[in-house]
Amino acid sequence: MPTVDIDPDELRDLTGREEKGDEELKDDLFGLGLEFEGLTEDGAFELEFAPDRLDRLSVEGVARSLRYHYGDARGLHVPSTNDADWTIEVDESVPDERPYVTGAIVRDIDLDEDSLDSLIQLQEKLHATMGRKRAKGAIGIHDLTMLKGSPATEGNPTIEYVGVEPDGDRFVPLDSDQELTPAEVLEEHPTGRTYADLVADYERYPAIYDDLGLFSFPPVINGRRTEVSADSRDLLVEMTGTDQWTIDKMLNIVCYALAGRGATLEAVTVEYADGEIVRPDFSTKTKTVAHDRIETILGIGLDPDEVIDLAERSGLEAERAEDDEGDLVYEVTIPPYRVDVLHPLDVIDDLGRAYGFNDLEPTYPDVGTVGGRHERSRLERAARTQLVGLGFEDMLNFHMINEAENYERVDLKQGTDAYGAGEPTTIKEVYSEDYTMLRTWTLPSLLMVLERNTHRSYPQYLSEIGFTARLDESENTGVGENRHVGAVLASHDAGYEDAKARLQALCRQFDVDLETPPTDHPTFIDGRTAAVVVDGEEVGVIGEVHPKVLVEHDLEVPVAAFEFDLEALQ
Amino acid sequence: MQLPAQQVAVLEAASADEATSVDALAEATDLPPETVTGAAFELESDGLVAVEERVDETVALTDEGAEYADESLPEVRLYEAALEADADDDSAQMGPVIGASGLEGPQVDIALSNYARKGYGAIDSGEITADPDADPGADAEANALEALADAGDAPVESVDVDDDTLEQLERRGLLERTESTVRAVTLTERAVTELMAGIETAETVGQVTPELLTSGEWESVEFAEYNVEADAEAVESGKVHILRQMSERVKDVLVGMGFQEMDGPHVDADFWINDCLFMPQDHPARTHWDRFAMEQPTHIDELPADLVEDVERVHREGLGEDSEGYHSPWDEDFARALALRGHTTSLSTRHLSGEQIGEIEPPARFFSIEKAYRNDTLDATHLLEFYQIEGWVMAEDLSVRDLMGTFEEFYAQFGIENIQFKPHYNPYTEPSFELFGTHPTTGELIEIGNSGIFREEMLEPLGVDCDVMAWGLALERLAMLTTGAEDIRDLHGTLADLEFLRNAEVTY
Repeated sequence: MPTVDIDPDELRDLTGREEKGDEELKDDLFGLGLEFEGLTEDGAFELEFAPDRLDRLSVEGVARSLRYHYGDARGLHVPSTNDADWTIEVDESVPDERPYVTGAIVRDIDLDEDSLDSLIQLQEKLHATMGRKRAKGAIGIHDLTMLKGSPATEGNPTIEYVGVEPDGDRFVPLDSDQELTPAEVLEEHPTGRTYADLVADYERYPAIYDDLGLFSFPPVINGRRTEVSADSRDLLVEMTGTDQWTIDKMLNIVCYALAGRGATLEAVTVEYADGEIVRPDFSTKTKTVAHDRIETILGIGLDPDEVIDLAERSGLEAERAEDDEGDLVYEVTIPPYRVDVLHPLDVIDDLGRAYGFNDLEPTYPDVGTVGGRHERSRLERAARTQLVGLGFEDMLNFHMINEAENYERVDLKQGTDAYGAGEPTTIKEVYSEDYTMLRTWTLPSLLMVLERNTHRSYPQYLSEIGFTARLDESENTGVGENRHVGAVLASHDAGYEDAKARLQALCRQFDVDLETPPTDHPTFIDGRTAAVVVDGEEVGVIGEVHPKVLVEHDLEVPVAAFEFDLEALQ
Repeated sequence: MQLPAQQVAVLEAASADEATSVDALAEATDLPPETVTGAAFELESDGLVAVEERVDETVALTDEGAEYADESLPEVRLYEAALEADADDDSAQMGPVIGASGLEGPQVDIALSNYARKGYGAIDSGEITADPDADPGADAEANALEALADAGDAPVESVDVDDDTLEQLERRGLLERTESTVRAVTLTERAVTELMAGIETAETVGQVTPELLTSGEWESVEFAEYNVEADAEAVESGKVHILRQMSERVKDVLVGMGFQEMDGPHVDADFWINDCLFMPQDHPARTHWDRFAMEQPTHIDELPADLVEDVERVHREGLGEDSEGYHSPWDEDFARALALRGHTTSLSTRHLSGEQIGEIEPPARFFSIEKAYRNDTLDATHLLEFYQIEGWVMAEDLSVRDLMGTFEEFYAQFGIENIQFKPHYNPYTEPSFELFGTHPTTGELIEIGNSGIFREEMLEPLGVDCDVMAWGLALERLAMLTTGAEDIRDLHGTLADLEFLRNAEVTY
C-alpha cells in the first residue's frame, strides 16, 4: 500500500487544532482511513492511504479532511480564481501520443523548505497514482518570474506546448549543469534514463517553450532555469498527459493544496487548434442519490436533515428533491478535487463514513441458503482420506515450477507421449527462475521434498492431490487443468510392489478396476514400470524411480511411485 | 493341574486346619499382600480355598489422650489445685485456683465442663468448691487412659475398659477406633486332594498368539508384566497437510453457514479476473509488476460477446446519468490476455455472470478456498501462491450491517472477536472495509481480511440486479493466526520440512 509522509505540526497548524496530541491525531487519521505506519527520520507520520482519496496526498489535503471530520468546516468549498492572464498555446506539432495540457498560475505563495518538500511529495504521489508513473499525466511546477511569455494576443503572455526533434534545441535540465538535447537527456541524465521508455516510440518529443526557449521536457524533466525554491512567490503549474480529465483533476488537487496554504489562484487559457479552454476547471458535478438507497445500504433509518448534515460534514452539499416517481432523493454536489466519486454509491460511502460505520449494529442477514461442497472438492477429500489411511503424509506443493525440475531432472522430454510430459504453460515475466511454468505433474514436486528431507527419518511416504496444467488447444483458455494423485514411497527396501499394493487398495476403495500393463517411461526403471489403466483407460504411471533420477536428487534410498488423474476415481 | 506361580505359592503356604491371615501368607510367600489377596480370590473362585473375612476394631489414644495419660486429666488437675486452696472447707476464688492448676487455653473449659459432671465439686458465680470425698484414683476415664497408654494400638476386645468409658473418651476426642478387614485363607478338601496329586506352575506368556486363543490355553497362562511406562517406538502416521486441515475446517464453517463451493480455471482471461470487477485497465495492480501474465498460451479463445460489450460500456461511460466510467483506455485484446488469477474473485465473476454454472437466483451464498497467484516478494509472510478464502452473499437490499454481522459470525468460529471495520477503497466494492480483529493469543489488533458490497458498475453488466457483498482473506494468514506458525514457508511448498509437518498439531 502506498504511503504519504505528513508532518503532525503542520497538520495542527493547518487545522488550527494546536491542542491535538500525536496519539489523538493518529486516531482521527485512522477514522479517515489513513493508517499510521511509523515515524520518518524527520518525525513526520508515515501514513498508509487507500488510493481513492488522492486529494489527501498532501498535508493541506489531510488537514482539509480533518477540518470536515472535526466539524470545523462544512459543505462545499470552491476557492476563487482570478481571470486568466497567461495562455498555453498548443502547437500542431505536439506528439499525437500526448496531446493534452493544462495549467494554472499560483501567486503569493509562502513557501519554506518543509512546505516545498510537501509540494514535491504531492507531485510525486500524484505521478505514482493518477499519473500512472507519468504515462497518463505528468506535472511540472515552475518559478513564474523566470518565464518570459511573448504577448501573442491582446497583450497576454503566452507559452507554447510543442513537439520537437529529439536532437533539436538544447536546455539545461534539473540537477545538471550541461546543455543537452532531449535525446541526450534520455541517454545521459539519470531522470532521463528512468523515464526514457515513456517517449521511446514518439517521433517528436513533447516540450514547452517560453520566449527564452525550451524550459520543460514533459513527462521527463523540467529545465533548471525555472526551478522552484523556497523563495519562489509565483508559480506556473503545467501538466501534460494522455487524457484531459485526468490532468485537469490532478491540477485541481494541486491547486486546492496551494490555496489551502494561502496562495491566490489565477486561471490559464489553453488554446487548442479546435478551441480554447480555461483552467483550472472548478466546475462541480451533481449526483442524484435516492434516500431509500442510503437507508438500505447503511441498514438504518435516517431523517432527511440528518442526511444533509452528513453530506456537509463530508465536504459535499446536498439538497432535497424528488425523482420521477415522487420518491425522496438528494441532489448532491461534489467538489472539483474529488476524483473518486463515480456513482451515487460513492456518495453513500461518504455519508457512512461521516456517520461512523463502526457505530452501526451488526445484524446477521435473515436469508436462508443451502450450503454444499463442489463435487471435485469432495472427491479430493475422499481420495486424500484414503491415502492418509494408507500411511501417506499429505503434501501441499507449489503449482509453479521450472522446466529443469519438471522435465530434465526427472529425465523427461517435454511434448513426448510419456505421462507428465505435456507441453508447458509458461509465465511471461517471472519472479524467479525457479518458477517459470505450471507443473505438468506432481512427481517432480514430491521428489524435491524427498531431496530436501534426506536428513529426516525413513520411511518417507508422501502423497499429493495436486493441480497440474499443460497446453491444450481444445480448451477455451488453451490450458488443460486437472488434478493428479501423486505418491512416492522412499525407504531402504521400497519397491514396485509396495506402490502397487497401495494403488490397488486406493482403487478398491473407489470401486474402480485397475490394470497395470508394462510400459516405458524415462523416469522409471525399465521392466519395473507399468501404465495405470483404470476402467480400461490409461490414466497414469507406476514404477520404481530410475537410479539416475534418484542420484540427481541426492537420494540414497529406492523410491517407488505412482501418479494418475484424480478423475479416474470418479 | 496347572496354576500361575503366585496361586501355587499361596496354596502351599496355607493350611487346611487353620485359617492363615493374608499378612502371614505374604510373609511366607514373599509376595506383596495385595498379590496374595488377588491370588486368594482366584483360588476361592476355583473352589480351592475358603476366604474368611472379619472386621477387626482397634482403639488407640489420640495425641490429646496420650497427653492426659501422661499429665492427668484437666478436671483432676483442677480438683487437686482446689484442694490445695482449701476449697473443701469453703468455696475459693476461681481465678487463683485455675492459675495454680497450670491449666491454659481450651484445657480450662475442658476442666470446668467435666468437673461437676464427675462430682469433683461445684462451680458457682466465680467460686469453686471441692468435694472432699471425691477420689481421682477411682476416675474411670483416668484409669482407662492409663491402661490404653500402655496397650498402644490394641484390639478393642483386649482392653480392660468398659464400653461406656470408651464411648465417653471417644466423644471427648481422646480415643480413636479403627476398623480393618482381615482375611484369612483355609485350604478346601479339594485343594488338599489336588495338592496331593501335584499342582504345576504355569509358564508366563509374552504374546497372545492365535494358538493360545484357539486352544483355550489362555485360561491357565499368566501374562508377563510389561513396563507400561516405557517409551514406545516412534510411528509416523499419515496426516492430512496442516493447511489442508485448516481449509477443511473453514469449508465446514462456510458450508454450515449456507455457502456453496465454486470451482474454475487457474489460468484465466484478465476479463474474468479484472475487467468484470470494474478494474480499470490501467490500474496499477494490472501492470506486470503484480501479475503473472502467461507467455504461452497468450489469449483466451472466446469471451461472451454481449458481456464484453456491456463491460466495456460501463468502463467507458459508467451506468446512466449519475455515473461516470473511467478515464482510462479499454481494449478487448488486453481483456483476453491470460494470466494466473491474482485473486479467486475471477470465480465469483464467472459464477455471477452465469458463465460457470448457469444463472444464479438470489438469495445465494458462494465460496471458494482456492489458489491465487501474486507476483510479490517471497518472504516469511508472503508466497507467490496462496489460498484465498473468497465468499459472497447475494440478496435483495443487503446493508453494511448484514456484511458486518456475517463476518463477525464467520470470524467468531475461529476465536477472533471484536471485529473492527476500517473504511477502505477497492475498485470493485463500495462501501469497502478492511477487517481488523483481536489476535486470539496476543490480543493485538490485526488485519484479517478485505470486504465490501460489489459496485453496481460491476454487477449490472454481469446481469445481477440485487446486492452482493463479498470478502476475502488468505487461508495462510488465518492458519498462522490460529496455529501460531511464524514462517509461511514451513506450511506450504517444496521447502517443507517433513519433521515440522509430522509434528504439527492437528486442527479441528
